[in-house]
Amino acid sequence: MHYEIQYRPAHALAFAHLQPGESVRAEASAMVSMTPNVAVETQANTGGGLLKSLKRSMLGGESFFTNRFTAVGSPGHVSFAPDLCGDLLVHELTGTQLLIQGSSYVSAPDSVQIDTKFQGFKGFFSGESLFFLSATGYGPVLMNAFGAVETLDLNGELIVDTGHLVAFTSGIEYTVTKAGKGWIQSFLSGEGLVLRMRGQGRVYIQSRNPAEYGRAIGAELPPRRS
Amino acid sequence: MQFQIEHGPAFAWLRVQLGAGERITAEAGAMVRQSPTLEMDTRLNAPRSTGVFGKIWGFMVAMARKMFGGETPFLNDFHGATGGEVVLAPSLSGSVVHRRLGGGSTMFVQTGSYLASSGNVDMRIRWGGLRSFFGGEGLVLLECFGDGDLFMNSYGGVTEVPIDGAFVVDTGHIVAFEGSLDFKVRSIGGLKSFLFSGEGLVCEFQGRGTVFIQSRNMDSLVSWLSPMLGS
Repeated sequence: MHYEIQYRPAHALAFAHLQPGESVRAEASAMVSMTPNVAVETQANTGGGLLKSLKRSMLGGESFFTNRFTAVGSPGHVSFAPDLCGDLLVHELTGTQLLIQGSSYVSAPDSVQIDTKFQGFKGFFSGESLFFLSATGYGPVLMNAFGAVETLDLNGELIVDTGHLVAFTSGIEYTVTKAGKGWIQSFLSGEGLVLRMRGQGRVYIQSRNPAEYGRAIGAELPPRRS
Repeated sequence: MQFQIEHGPAFAWLRVQLGAGERITAEAGAMVRQSPTLEMDTRLNAPRSTGVFGKIWGFMVAMARKMFGGETPFLNDFHGATGGEVVLAPSLSGSVVHRRLGGGSTMFVQTGSYLASSGNVDMRIRWGGLRSFFGGEGLVLLECFGDGDLFMNSYGGVTEVPIDGAFVVDTGHIVAFEGSLDFKVRSIGGLKSFLFSGEGLVCEFQGRGTVFIQSRNMDSLVSWLSPMLGS
């Protein structure tokens, strides 16, 4: 299986090319189009148990259901698109581990295990939530970015806004801390919580923050009628 | 200080390398990533020279602005004894533009378009007139002055229009304009077009100077989205 990405960076669309018998799993609602020889199977995303996957979908913005696309009899393709505008990126796993911000994950082949052994976090003040999926194994993992992607090879220390982080390789340690010196300052600064990352590895950063975009537009919208 | 504007035009951000003791001021919430060597101070958006009463007044104006303009009244200063790098991004999609201020020049920036400034750039809040409140397109401006670099963000692409004479821009499409221009907020026609033309308010410029306009309007996005939000 390999990915081909078009319409970068503003409205990226990914084509997953499958050989006969190959399959790819994707977030529910990511599918745009597919060839008629592709069979779809919807599975509850119960990696790590039902409770964990419920928690994952509630905290991480990851969908509870996963679709599995398999090419039957002949080669085929499926295309995937994220909800917001922005780029798509592929990270190749070679027996290594990648930690992905819950809402950035799009799809991966069967040779990649998506797990949730990493603790999530929910901010009290800003409504920020942070939840990592762990991807291990072999093969290409597809992720979305809100805006453009910066690929950063970290060797040392870096502070990253939680809303701008897409993914990072294992070997980088992180702590969630307040952005300013005190809680009040962190709240007023609009930065809320940040990740202090340390170590050696790769970090993917997105140039826009979905939550901030939501707040900027949301503040102007009329209250939702219920 | 060195800077790069990257990932434009759709998703531009500003990357700044600060030398020892150098300082950049940014809109609250703009920080994407920063070196651990940099510190962040949060302060109210009031000129640095103002006294206590000025600050209290500034706070009241800021709160009023937060209610009407939706913009946060706080700014973050990034600085460090050994310098470092900080990346700043706006919330909406679009471009980042740089302008050097100096020699007594001023720039009026629509509050949502201010991203960052360096050096001795200071700012105060200016209202686009009472009229701008009707119609929902509040034209709340930051008057930026002093010596230094000014960075603005646009929703969509940004066009620099040199004016010599008169020019009319929809208030929602204004990013910024030079202080050398006279401006007046008005409705585009009579009462009928104010209510039905869909154009709302415009800003009429007179004189010689540059206006920066953006190719998208957040108010339009909001009015397009609002009816879709039913129960």
